[in-house]
Amino acid sequence: MSAAIPSVACLGVIGRNNNPLHISIFPSYDPTANAFTPIRNPLQFSLLLSSTIDVFDLRSKTSTASGDFGLLHAIDDRLAAYGFETNTGVRMVCIVDMRGRRVEAGGSGVSGQGGGAAGASTASSTSASAAAARSSVGSVGAGLRDSEIKPVFRAMQSAYVRLLQNPFYDPDEHAPLGGKGGRRITSKKFGDDMKRIGEAWTPGVTTL
Amino acid sequence: MDGYPLGSLDHNVPLIVVSGLSSDPPDQPAKAKGQGVLLRSDLPPLEGKEANFLESFFEEVDERGKSWTVVTREEHFRLRVKTVGRTFVLPSRRATLPETIEPLTTSPILHSPFSPLSPSSALYPDGLMNAQWIKKHQEEIPSIFVCFHTLTSDSKISVQQDNRLKSALNGMRATLVESGYKTRLVVIILGDAEAKTNLTAEIIQDRLEGVRRGTGLDPKSIFYIPPQESPSELRRVMDSIFALLYNTAIEYYRDLGRHARKKRSRGIVPQPTLPPTSGTSQTLSLPDWNFRYDFKSAIFAEFRQEIDAAIRSFEQAYEILLGQDVLDIIPSWSPRWNEARLLADIISIRCLRLHLWMGQTSLAVRRWQSHRDRISDFVDRRGRGTNNYGWQAWESRWAMVMANMIEMVEVPGLGPSTMTIFLQPEKALFGERLQPWELLHHTGYWYRIAARHLGARRTLAHRIPDDDRGAPDASPASRVASKAIRYDTYMCPPPHEEYPLNGNGINHAQLMIDCLLNARGQFQARKQHRIAAEISLECAREMATLGSWNEVLAMLRPLWEDKSFRSEWWLDISEDILWVMRRAAAETGRADIVVAIDWELMNERFTRRKNWHYDLAKSLDGVSSTSRPFITISDDVASSFISTSFAFRSKEGRAGETCVAQLSLKSEALQAAAPVTLSSIRVEFEGHLKPITLIHDSDLPPSSSESPVSVTPVALTEQLEGDAKESDEIEKEDKNDEDEDEDKAKDEGEAEDKDDEKEGQLTGKCDLTLRPGHRQVFEMNIPLREPGQASAFRVVLTYKTDTFELDYTLSLSESGKVTGWFVQGATKPRLSRPDGHILHIQPRPPKMKLRLVEPLGQFYANEPIPLRIGLYNEEDDSANVKLDIRIVGKVIPRFRVDAGEHKREVDTAEEESQVTGLALGHIASSSSLELSIHLDPAPAPTAYEIQIRADYHLESDAATPIVQVLPIHLNIVNAFEANYDLMPRLHPDPWPSLFDYEDLQDVSDGDVVQARGLAQQWCLVCHYASFATEDLDVVGLDLAVTAVTPGGRCQVVNQPELSADGMIVAPKTMYEARFGLVAQKITLDDRHPVTIDLAFVVRWRRRRQLADGENNTINVTTMTVGQYMVLGTEPRVLASVLHSSQEQAGLVRLDITIENPSSHFLTFGLVMEPSDAFAFSGSKQTTVHLLPMSRRTKTYRLLPLARGVYIRPGLVVRDKYFQKVLRVIPTEGMKIDKDGLLVWVPPAPEAEEKAEG
Repeated sequence: MSAAIPSVACLGVIGRNNNPLHISIFPSYDPTANAFTPIRNPLQFSLLLSSTIDVFDLRSKTSTASGDFGLLHAIDDRLAAYGFETNTGVRMVCIVDMRGRRVEAGGSGVSGQGGGAAGASTASSTSASAAAARSSVGSVGAGLRDSEIKPVFRAMQSAYVRLLQNPFYDPDEHAPLGGKGGRRITSKKFGDDMKRIGEAWTPGVTTL
Repeated sequence: MDGYPLGSLDHNVPLIVVSGLSSDPPDQPAKAKGQGVLLRSDLPPLEGKEANFLESFFEEVDERGKSWTVVTREEHFRLRVKTVGRTFVLPSRRATLPETIEPLTTSPILHSPFSPLSPSSALYPDGLMNAQWIKKHQEEIPSIFVCFHTLTSDSKISVQQDNRLKSALNGMRATLVESGYKTRLVVIILGDAEAKTNLTAEIIQDRLEGVRRGTGLDPKSIFYIPPQESPSELRRVMDSIFALLYNTAIEYYRDLGRHARKKRSRGIVPQPTLPPTSGTSQTLSLPDWNFRYDFKSAIFAEFRQEIDAAIRSFEQAYEILLGQDVLDIIPSWSPRWNEARLLADIISIRCLRLHLWMGQTSLAVRRWQSHRDRISDFVDRRGRGTNNYGWQAWESRWAMVMANMIEMVEVPGLGPSTMTIFLQPEKALFGERLQPWELLHHTGYWYRIAARHLGARRTLAHRIPDDDRGAPDASPASRVASKAIRYDTYMCPPPHEEYPLNGNGINHAQLMIDCLLNARGQFQARKQHRIAAEISLECAREMATLGSWNEVLAMLRPLWEDKSFRSEWWLDISEDILWVMRRAAAETGRADIVVAIDWELMNERFTRRKNWHYDLAKSLDGVSSTSRPFITISDDVASSFISTSFAFRSKEGRAGETCVAQLSLKSEALQAAAPVTLSSIRVEFEGHLKPITLIHDSDLPPSSSESPVSVTPVALTEQLEGDAKESDEIEKEDKNDEDEDEDKAKDEGEAEDKDDEKEGQLTGKCDLTLRPGHRQVFEMNIPLREPGQASAFRVVLTYKTDTFELDYTLSLSESGKVTGWFVQGATKPRLSRPDGHILHIQPRPPKMKLRLVEPLGQFYANEPIPLRIGLYNEEDDSANVKLDIRIVGKVIPRFRVDAGEHKREVDTAEEESQVTGLALGHIASSSSLELSIHLDPAPAPTAYEIQIRADYHLESDAATPIVQVLPIHLNIVNAFEANYDLMPRLHPDPWPSLFDYEDLQDVSDGDVVQARGLAQQWCLVCHYASFATEDLDVVGLDLAVTAVTPGGRCQVVNQPELSADGMIVAPKTMYEARFGLVAQKITLDDRHPVTIDLAFVVRWRRRRQLADGENNTINVTTMTVGQYMVLGTEPRVLASVLHSSQEQAGLVRLDITIENPSSHFLTFGLVMEPSDAFAFSGSKQTTVHLLPMSRRTKTYRLLPLARGVYIRPGLVVRDKYFQKVLRVIPTEGMKIDKDGLLVWVPPAPEAEEKAEG
C-alpha cells in the first residue's frame, strides 16, 4: 500500500520590490502516469508565487514579529503556500504539494523509485527523509504543521545569507532602493542550494 | 447548488399553515377533488387591516424561514408559514392502486404515495428515497394548522357565532384525526374592534372556555388576541404566540422522528402493495430500509434544529448508503445508481451545512474532501471511472456547492469585510495535523477550483471520439448502448449534448468565465489583487477562445495600464498578458495598443517567440485600421526596448557659450529583431534650454556597425521662433531655404526686440538607425542662451511607417540617475555622476567694465562726496546700457547723478534711495562713458552702500540680457575729534556794588539791557586732533555759544587767530586752541547759576588741488563741547600770580582773591605756611571778612629760592564759620595737585641764556 506525502513543489525568493529573485520548481509524483512531473507549468508557478505577495501584504498589517508567516494560503486541496519574510523584506515562499511524493507504507521503496527525476544525487538523503516521513505519516496522518516547513525556510535563509556574503553579489542590483523590479539571482550555488532543499525536504526532516 | 432536486437541500424548519386570513384562490376547490384530505370551514375569512398586517407578517416569517443561516438560541422561532383561505388540502396518506391492474383478491395494504412500496410512486419498486418526501414535510403537511377567527362582540349573535365556530372546529378536528396526520389544530381568536368596550374579560374568558370545551381543544391550542392599538404590538403578541407554537411544532417533529426510529428498530422489510412485475423485480432490502429510516430521522432532527442528532443520523444513513449492501450492489448502468449518488451528495451537503452551522469549518472541509474521495473511489471501482468529463463536471459542481454553501450559510468571520483568507481550525481539531486545505478558505478559492475542473471537463469533453458525439437517433443502437456504459452522465449531459458533432453544446468557456468572475470578485474584495489579476488573465484566455476580443481587452486593459507584474519584473507573466492582449488588440483593430505592445515585446528581457517578425514596421500587418493612426505612448504605459540617457559634459555652463552634451540611445531589443529607424528624436528640457530635435537623414553615413557603441557628433542649427511652425516641413526643404528662413527670423527678432521669450529650437541631422544591442550616442554642442538650471526632461522618439506614426515619450528626469560620458571605442561610460542630465547655466559673464575713475578715498562728515564712475565697453559689440543706482544707508542725503546729457536728482530719503532705468544709450565697443554722482554732505559719521548696476545687451544679441554690477561701500567718519577743559580765570573788572545807585537805569526804555550782574572769566582749552588720513588745512577755529540760561549772557572774548592760508593739521596729532569766555548775569539779584552750551567749530579744507583749478570748498565741522555751569553762589578762592619784571629778580606776586557771591556775611581765615622753597612777605595768618556780593584780594610776595621749578605755597583758606577748607583755584601760570597749589617760577633769564649759550 502506498500513501501520498507532501513534497516541495516550488521554492521562490521574492525581492523587496516584489520582484522574483529566484524560482525553483520540483516535480511531483503523478499517479496516473507513474512519473515525476511538475504539477504546474513555470508560468503558473510564477503566478502562484506572485499571488502570495498579496497575502504577505495583507498579513504584514497584523504583523508577525518573527517573520515566519506560516501558511499563507492553500491554493487548492493539493497545493499550499508557506511564507517567510526576512527583516530586509526578502520573502521566501515554499509551495508544498500535499500529494507530491509517494511512500510505500511497508516496503523500502523510495519515492516510487522516481529518484531519477527527483535527482539521484540526493538519493541517500531522500531515503533517510522518506523513512522519517513514513513514520510521521504512520503516526498522525497526511496533514502538515506550519512548524514542519520551518527547516526549509531556515535552510533557504542560510543559503541566502551565504549568497549575500559573496562580495560579487550586490543586493541593490536585485532590488534597487525605491525602484522597481530588479534582476534575478543568477548564482549557481544558490540555485543548487535551493534544489537540494526542495528535494531533501519531507515532513519530519529537521535539518536541511 | 442548482441541479439538485427542488426541496432536497432546503433548510428544514417547522411548517405552519395559517388559514382564515385570505379568501381561497379559485383553483383550490378543484384540487380538493383529488385524493387529498380536505380541511375546510364555512366561516368567512378575516378581513381588515389586522388581517392584512398578519398576512405580511407571515410572509416575513416565511421568508426568514427560507434562510440557510444557523438557528441560534437567541432566535425564538424559525418557521415556514403558509397562508391559505378557509380550505386546505392535505396530501392523501395512502396511495391508490393503479387502475390498470387487475382487482386483487385480498384487500391490499396501501402505503404512502411517496413510499417505494406503492406502485404509483416513482421509487417503486427499489428506489431508495427522493426529494418528494422531504418536500412533502416541508411544504404540504403542516406541523400546526392555525385557524384565525373573530370573536364578535355583538351580544345578539354571539351565541350563534360561537356555536358556528365550535362546529367548524369540530369538523376540522374530526377530519384531521380521520386523516391520520398528527397535525395540531390551533385556534387564534381575534377580538373585534368593539370587544374592548363591549366585553369584559370575564365574558371573553367564559366564551373562550365555551368554545374550547365544545371542541375539546387543550388550553394551549386556543389563543385570544384582544384588539391591539398598533401593528407593532400585534407583532409582539404574534411573536410570543409563535414562540409558543414553535415548541408545539418541535414536539410534532419529535413524534415523527420517534416513529421513524420505531420502524427501524422493528427490523422488518415491509412488502410492497403489489409485487413488482417489471424491471429487475427487485425490492428494497433491510439495509435499504434502514437507510430510509435513518435519513428520515435525520431530516426530522433537522426540522427540530437538533444538529447533533441530525449529523448522527445522516452519517449513519451515509455509511449504509456507501456501505457494501446498498451502493455496492446497485449496477452502475441502472438509474438507481445515479439516484443513490444523488442521495449521497444530498446527505453530504446537509452534513456540510450542519458542520458549518456548528462552526466546525475544518471538519466541513474534511467532510467535503472525504465525500469526494469516497465517491471517486466508488466511481473508479464500480462506475465509469474518473477520467471523463462527467467526473470533472461533478468535481466542479462539488466545489461550487461548497462555495455556495459558505455564502448561503454566511459562515461568520469569512465575509469579504473581514479580509480573512482562511479560518483557523475549530477547537476540536486544534493541534491536529491538518491539511492546509482543511482550513476553510474563502469562496474565491472554491470558485477557482470549480473553474479548474471545468477546464479539465472541457479537455476531456474534447477528447470524446466523433462517433459518440452524434445524436442518439442518428447513430446505431449498439453505439447508444455502449455510450450509456462508457460515459458518466451523473448530473451532466450525455456526450452528444456536451460536445455535439453539430451545434454548440455546453459552453464550457462561459461556465468558466462565470466561475472565474465570481472568484475574482471575492479576491478583489479581500485586496488579493495579484490573484485577481491572474484570474483576469485566465478569464481573458477563455474569452479569447470564445472570440469575444472586446471583452478580453476590457479584462486585460486595467492590468496593462497599472503595469501589474511588469513593474515588478514578473517577466513570464507580463509576457503572457502582453501576447494575449496583443492578439485581442489586433482583432479589435486597436492599433495603438498593438504598437505599444510590439514596442514593449521587442525588449530582450522577454523570451523570443518563434516565427515572430519582431519588426515594428510590420506591426500593423493584419490589423484592420481605417486611417493611418497616430499613436502616442509613454514609458509609464509601456516599457521600452530603447533606453536613453542624457548627459551634459560639465555641471556648469555659461550663457552665451556652448556646452557639449550626449544623448545615448541603447537598443535592448532581441537579437532577432529588425533594426529600428526612428524618424526623429526630440529632447525636451526643463528650464532655460530649447528643445533639440534630431532628424533622421539616411544620406549620412551610418555609424560604424561593428562596435557596440558608436559616438556620432551632430551639428545643431538654431532656429528662432519665426520658423518653428515650419519645422515640420523643414526636413523636406533644402538647405538654402533654411538659411533664408533664418535670416528672416533674425530680422523679425530685431523688429520685435523686446519680446525676449523666444521658443526657438535646435535641430540636427544624423542617422537614427538602431540595431539590437547597439548603443548610439549623439554628441551635440548646445548653445546656451539664458542663465538658470536646465535639466533634460524627456525624450520623444518618433517612428513613422506607412501604416502608422508613433511618438514614444521617455522620461529622463529621474533624480539621482547616474549618467556617464561615452567615448568612442569603449562600451562603458566614463565619469559617471548622478544628475548628469542637469546643467547649471551661469549668466553670461559681462565684459562691460564698471569702475571708479578715482580710487575711493576716505570721506568725512560735513563734506560733499563726489564719485566718478567710468563705463568701459570691452565687449566685441556696441552695447545698449541702462543704469540703476541704489544707495542704502540710514539717511540718504540728496544726490545727483550726472551723465552727460542725462541728469537726475534725488531728494533726501530714509534707508534707501535709488535712480532706476537711467538710459545711457549706446556705448560703442571699446569706448567708455563717464558719469558722476554727487552726494550732499552727511551731517554725521555714517555708512552708505551704493550699488551701480548696468543692464545692457549687445546690439548683435538682443536676446541675452547681461548685467554688470559695481558695489561701493562708503564709510563716512568725522574728520576731527576734540576734548575740552574749562578753566576759571580772574575777571579783571571790579565787582558791582550793591549800593551803586548811579548805575541804576530805567529798564523800560533801554533796548539793550546792560549786564550788571556778577561776571566771571573762563578759559576753554580745546585739544583737537585730525582723524583724517591726510593733512588738512584748518582755516578757522571758532567757539560758538549755542545756548545760555536766561538771565545770563556769555561771550567769547578771545580766540586763536589763524593765517588766511590756515594751519596744516597733521593726522593723529593733538592741537590746542584756547578761547576766553566771559559769563555775566544780567542783574545782581539773580542768584541762580548759569549753564552755557558751547560748540567748537573747525573750518577746514582738503589740501589737494582739484584738476580744474576750482577752489576747494571749505567744510565746516561743528563739534559740541558740552554744557558747563558757571556763576554759582558758592564762595571761591582764586589765586593769581604776577611775575615781576626782570630787574626785581624774580619776585612773584601771588594774589588770593576770595569771592563771596552769596548773600551771607562770611569770615575766612588765611594761613600761609613758610617754605624752604621761597621766602614771602604778607600776613602769615589773617582773617578776612567778606560782605555779601563782594570780593577781596590778599596779596603775598614770594621770592622763590629756586628757578625754573614749581613752588608750593602752603596756603590754606578756611571758612571760619563752617571750619571748612576752601580749595584755592589756580589761574594762569599755576596748577594744582592733590596737595595744593603749585606756582610756576620761570627760570632766570641768565639761566636761559646760559642754557642757550
